[in-house]
Amino acid sequence: MQTVITMDHVDKEYKGTPAVKDLSLTIQEGTVTALLGPNGAGKTTTVSMLLGLQKPTRGQIRILGGAPDQPQARQSVGAMLQDISVIDRLTVRETIELFRSYYAKPLALSSLLAMAGLEKEQNKFATSLSGGQKRRLDFALAMAGDPKILYLDEPTVGMDVGSRQLFWESVRAMAGKGRTIILTTHYLDEADSIADRIVVINQGKLIADGTPAQIKSAQGRRVITFTAGERLKPDALSGIPGILETVWSGRKVKLSSPDTDQLIRTLLSRDLDIRDIEISAGGLEDAFQTLIQGDASL
Amino acid sequence: MMKSMIAQCKAEILRTLRNRRFVVFSVVMPVMFYFIFTGTMGDIKVGGIDWKAYYLMSMTAFGVIGASINTLSVRFAQERTQGWVRLIRITPLPNSAYVLSKMLSQSIVNLGTILLMFLIGHFAKGIDLSLGQWVACGLWIWIGVLPFMALGLLLGTLKSVEVVQVAANILYMSLSVLGGLWMPITTMPKLMQTIAEYLPSYRFGQGAWNVLGGIGPDWTGILILAAYALVFVILSTYILKRQEAV
Repeated sequence: MQTVITMDHVDKEYKGTPAVKDLSLTIQEGTVTALLGPNGAGKTTTVSMLLGLQKPTRGQIRILGGAPDQPQARQSVGAMLQDISVIDRLTVRETIELFRSYYAKPLALSSLLAMAGLEKEQNKFATSLSGGQKRRLDFALAMAGDPKILYLDEPTVGMDVGSRQLFWESVRAMAGKGRTIILTTHYLDEADSIADRIVVINQGKLIADGTPAQIKSAQGRRVITFTAGERLKPDALSGIPGILETVWSGRKVKLSSPDTDQLIRTLLSRDLDIRDIEISAGGLEDAFQTLIQGDASL
Repeated sequence: MMKSMIAQCKAEILRTLRNRRFVVFSVVMPVMFYFIFTGTMGDIKVGGIDWKAYYLMSMTAFGVIGASINTLSVRFAQERTQGWVRLIRITPLPNSAYVLSKMLSQSIVNLGTILLMFLIGHFAKGIDLSLGQWVACGLWIWIGVLPFMALGLLLGTLKSVEVVQVAANILYMSLSVLGGLWMPITTMPKLMQTIAEYLPSYRFGQGAWNVLGGIGPDWTGILILAAYALVFVILSTYILKRQEAV
């Protein structure tokens, strides 16, 4: 596989305040990478630099072997950015046609409309679309130039469930065709289901990088859930070793632990008033929380 | 590159023609004023020129100034504040082509306004100029509006669309009145006349009126207009560079 994106020791500072610190990353052709991190972690700054909208303070970025703002990169990159409104007084169709004109080898209008699910709305003014439809129009514009690399910055914000499903179906269909996709999202289940690689950034630094399965298992964190009986008081659990986190929701209790085998023995040996016990591997959400908390405590 | 410029111009022209503000301020208002003030003033002469012909040039100038300042400033401000410019920047369309196509499409729209006004003047008011005079006046107004386009570009660097809209309207109206496009400056007090001599709007109208009066080009006027254009372009380029420097 060919490397399409290289970030080499990239720093970005705003008036002396660091937003991205010493970030090195290579991304291979045809992969789907999710860039995750809490708000203000530096995800959008990273995407902006990859797009050539901002220059790194230090370090180097190569897109398809060239600088991000070179014509070759511009022809092969598409993006859904955040906080972009649609252009006024143009119809959906006219807006897409305008964007098609910018590129040397654009995709056909009909396939762009189909991808965005906007065939019926093509003659409507773009400003009259609903929030989710506008986001899907953004997607059509991102795809207009038949990009090799596609950036999706919080693509599903503002989409309803139907739009969201349709959207991920389209993205999945494209991911198979050798396109490289980089996405940021707040919905970790979306990242888990679409990405083959997860990169976690916190406070501008890379803190984890791997497949969703690796990220989940590397945290070595599994979960025991049970229903607490009347006699179980919260402080009965507080002294037990090996519990990373305890979450009470009504009588439902969730314990996270690096070693659930040991923990379940302890729980049972203490003869606590608990029932409906389940042991499971934590989801990406759990792994993500552990990573961020672990990083913050360093 | 050519293909995208043409598509960009086409889109810009469509957007302008679909804008009710443009139609009201730049087409309906000049035409209305023209009929009202040629109807009420009768067959007088201004500096030896037929009022009907003189005022046709005034109102045509008024219309294209309005369209250029208003459309360009609001559009630039809107597209910058709403992130559209950022999206264009990641496409292969060069930034210069983006700005140029906005100017170019405004020029095409202006040409339409000029033609419309001249046709109204000729057929509805029976203004009889030589072909050379029509062409010279038309070309003058078409090209001489450049400083006002540059002013639109400069206003467009302001951060709030609402402020831009208000500022554009105030500038457009005051420049037009003070520059003698509504009423000839010869009807104004001496001080106002002196001020008008330094305004681009007066110099803009004067170029066309001179053609009607059979006077050759006034180099002072051309110099003043060019100076305004230069200052506006330099200022807006400087401000844009500063805003983009991150």
